[in-house]
Amino acid sequence: MSTLESLPAWMRKRSTLVFAVLGVWIVLGTVFSGIHTLELSTATNTPVTDWFRELAASIRGSRAESPLFVYFFNPLRGAIEGFIELIRALIAVPASGNIIPVIGWLGVVALVGYIVYASSNWRTSLLSMGLLTACGMLGVWTYTMDTLAMTIGAVLLSLAIALPIGIWAGLNDRVMAFIRPVLDLAQILPTLVYLAPLALVFLIGIAAATIATMIYSIPICVRITAHAIRSLKAGPIEAAESMGSTRGQMLRKVQLPMARRTIILGINQTTLAALSFVVIAALIGAPGLGKPVIEALTIRNVGDGVVAGLAVVFLAVMLDRATTAAVQHSGQLPPEGAALVRRRIGLVIGAIATVIAIYLSRFQLWAAVFPEELVIGEYIANAADAVTEWITSTFYFLTIGLNENFTIHVLNRIEGLLANTPWYITIIAISLLAAIIGGRFVAILSAVLLGAIVLIGLWNDAMVTLTQVLIATAIVMLIGVIMGVLAGRSARIERALKPILDAGQTLPAFVYLVPVLALFGPSRFAAIVCGVFYATPVVVRVVADGVRGVPSDMVEAAVSSGSSTTQVVTKVQLPASKRSLLLGANQGMIFVLAVVVIGGFVGAGGLGYLVIVGQSKPELQGKGLAAGLAIVLLGVVMDRIAQAGARRNEKKPA
Amino acid sequence: MHYQRPPRTSVTPKGIQVMRNHLRGRLAVLPALAAASLVLAACGGGDVNEAATEATEEAVAEETVAEEAPEEEAAEDMPEEEAVVADCGDWGVAMHAWVGYTASAQVLSDVARDALGCNIEQIQLEEAGVTYDAMEAGSVDVIVEDWGGGRWQEWVDRGAVQEAGFNGNVGLIGMYVPQWMCEEYPDISDGTKLNEYAELFVTPESGGKGAWYEGPPGYTTIGEKIINAYDLNFQVINTGSEAALIEMFTQAAENQEPGLGYFYEPQNFLAQVELCRVNFPENDWTDTAEASGLTDYPETPLVKLATTELLESGSPFATLVSNFEWTNGDQNAVAAAIEGGATPEEAAADWISANTDTVNMWLEGTGASM
Repeated sequence: MSTLESLPAWMRKRSTLVFAVLGVWIVLGTVFSGIHTLELSTATNTPVTDWFRELAASIRGSRAESPLFVYFFNPLRGAIEGFIELIRALIAVPASGNIIPVIGWLGVVALVGYIVYASSNWRTSLLSMGLLTACGMLGVWTYTMDTLAMTIGAVLLSLAIALPIGIWAGLNDRVMAFIRPVLDLAQILPTLVYLAPLALVFLIGIAAATIATMIYSIPICVRITAHAIRSLKAGPIEAAESMGSTRGQMLRKVQLPMARRTIILGINQTTLAALSFVVIAALIGAPGLGKPVIEALTIRNVGDGVVAGLAVVFLAVMLDRATTAAVQHSGQLPPEGAALVRRRIGLVIGAIATVIAIYLSRFQLWAAVFPEELVIGEYIANAADAVTEWITSTFYFLTIGLNENFTIHVLNRIEGLLANTPWYITIIAISLLAAIIGGRFVAILSAVLLGAIVLIGLWNDAMVTLTQVLIATAIVMLIGVIMGVLAGRSARIERALKPILDAGQTLPAFVYLVPVLALFGPSRFAAIVCGVFYATPVVVRVVADGVRGVPSDMVEAAVSSGSSTTQVVTKVQLPASKRSLLLGANQGMIFVLAVVVIGGFVGAGGLGYLVIVGQSKPELQGKGLAAGLAIVLLGVVMDRIAQAGARRNEKKPA
Repeated sequence: MHYQRPPRTSVTPKGIQVMRNHLRGRLAVLPALAAASLVLAACGGGDVNEAATEATEEAVAEETVAEEAPEEEAAEDMPEEEAVVADCGDWGVAMHAWVGYTASAQVLSDVARDALGCNIEQIQLEEAGVTYDAMEAGSVDVIVEDWGGGRWQEWVDRGAVQEAGFNGNVGLIGMYVPQWMCEEYPDISDGTKLNEYAELFVTPESGGKGAWYEGPPGYTTIGEKIINAYDLNFQVINTGSEAALIEMFTQAAENQEPGLGYFYEPQNFLAQVELCRVNFPENDWTDTAEASGLTDYPETPLVKLATTELLESGSPFATLVSNFEWTNGDQNAVAAAIEGGATPEEAAADWISANTDTVNMWLEGTGASM
């Protein structure tokens, strides 16, 4: 910044400035503590939240009359519902008066096995069938099929929209420039936030849940598809151009086939995102595994939540492996000679076996409804209960002590600084920090958006949430960097961590909300712990990736010059992967925000609680919607500061 | 010691259970002859769905015979009454998560199915706004127990939803402490003296004041008002879920820690962990403006809501819903059975067969009886 250049060198150093701002902030915060904190009781509305409440009421009132609803939203709801119900009728729910859906469990297992075999190999096919059967053995077959149907439906609809947009954005710079901000925003939008507005327009149910899932998964697919087209090598395209191909020919014959692998990878990511969201969407009436998971929280039932959570993980592993294998398969050369014959025989036998299985599943009870004799879900639920019980009774005093000490010495102090200082001092302090870290533009943006939160009237709650996000992010970074470095340096540790990271990324946060609640009691710390659980896997992955990406000659040079392992890590590997660390911090923060909001369910208060209470108390619905908006604003502020900081870091010579 | 969670309910439809018994013998003989049975089934032309329907009908027929046999006196007027019962139709009953609600809704649904031949769909969903919306959209027709006095007014005003009378249960919300506290500090149950004990309840969460653990989001809560009215040195902590409250009380009772929180009856948890109610002076609720402050939670007669569509349909189910009324004791009996491991269907069936007089009062005007 030009203004800074006139200052002496020591004052220009950014860390010095950061500490100076923090110091002044702490002093002012202590002196003026408790003044102008804009604290508001839960039951009180503000003019803005009142306005939202009236808006919500008028939307509810016009659902039956307004042309927008009669000719657009309601038919759209009907169409989406009809589409999903079609898939559900096939594999999940019996038609009215019937007892099984069109295809019973054995048929579904065989069909999935066959599709996976045809698109990849028999090993992945066996794994997929095994995982599906395991879901049946957990005793949640119908829920699993509902989730699968919702996921398939949402993915198909997402792809129908996202692939064309992605291809267009890949070909056209102006389109890309137009949708990039939308994609950016979608990435930082915490999932809980847009459930309520969607439910308001589309009612609680399958349609709202499907659309919410699509909003979550479409941006991912668009981004990867556009990237796939953009990163193609220029050579073949130029060659095709010089041979006089039309644009349509070029797209069909050259660009799409070349980008196919990356696009399928995009489908893989879209599918996993959709699955994880369908579980959360149970909050607005999505059928499936999310139901028992959320019920486990509302009626405190760890065992059933764990069982349903396990089924979600199995389903995720299955979808991930199947689509990954399809990517690899699509990259291989077609088999020849004996291998081709074997493959063809396999396909024919598989087809016959699948048809028989589907037939059996329609006419034989044991093949239609998952046999109860094979269900072991209850034992697992009881075991999970027992383990939780044991952990709680054994570690309760330890964890409660940890909670109390941490809350008094860290959480309350930071919250005091953010929320208990006059609001204008906090805004000035955050904007100054934004200026130092990210530059003038980010500083102005932060001041404006934070000011908007003040106007909405939810300042104090926003600062309570911000405190939890910042603390959880710090803990996530600490754990993430340590584990990431270990995993990045050793392939063995990485392999050992992989299943844990996979499970951590797919396990719905609601599943561990209850055990965490038992260990730490209803508190803000419980929400922080949940945020840490949820965000750590991502950070570990990103950091490990960065550490592995450090050129090996740099590491070898350091080792041969006699550096110790610690020195290699701290002096070479971490500095060289600084970009990954910053990216990890940003990702971690966004993930933490998504879960800390859910912390409203376990007594963490803040904006998340307002969103939740707005769902169930009509008089606070406006406040809930406004809180959702405040969460988005908060997310944008944090994301912009971190991004701008990362960019500036890159520009600077090392 | 720990809160007993409701039993795991099987997701297997009733018809399948019946058919399982029906087919078990046959299936045991055949597994080795899968191909043969395939052919047999194909010749028979019926798939599992048809077989199940037949099996259910058979089983129902058997049950009916078995039940009617000992009650010969009653049997004479049965046939003509059944002939008069009007066509019931398809209706949706809202199902909420707490076990007391489950008990009421299951009994209502089963009477409607068995006595009136209604096609009842039970729909799991969140209470309040979500359910009212669903009623407006036509997917749910009945709420059998609603605690929130008048929060449905906006939907009633638009015409799709109506109050359908009280269900006979009386809800009591209150602030509670673990029983050991009432024994150690006898006058703690007097809410106006709570300030003397505020220090006991201080936690790191409550900012130097006593922690007042408030009820879950959907529930009627007036903690902030009570604290203001009595100038209590307490801080409301929004627990966010019933699980969080139960966790708090369980730990407080087990570890002899202080804890002040929201709870309500009828609720089975109170039978497992003893809590002691902190009472505030009663308030005259006829004057609502007065009532907003100095008050305790009043006893709440719980309300039934139904769609206008149902109430004006002339269906006997509308009559049944309007007549449905039972006591806290009735509900607790069914809820306790569910908690003891019975499925809601079994618990409801037991209560219905033991209380035919009550059920028949509900059925008055429909032409049917149990």
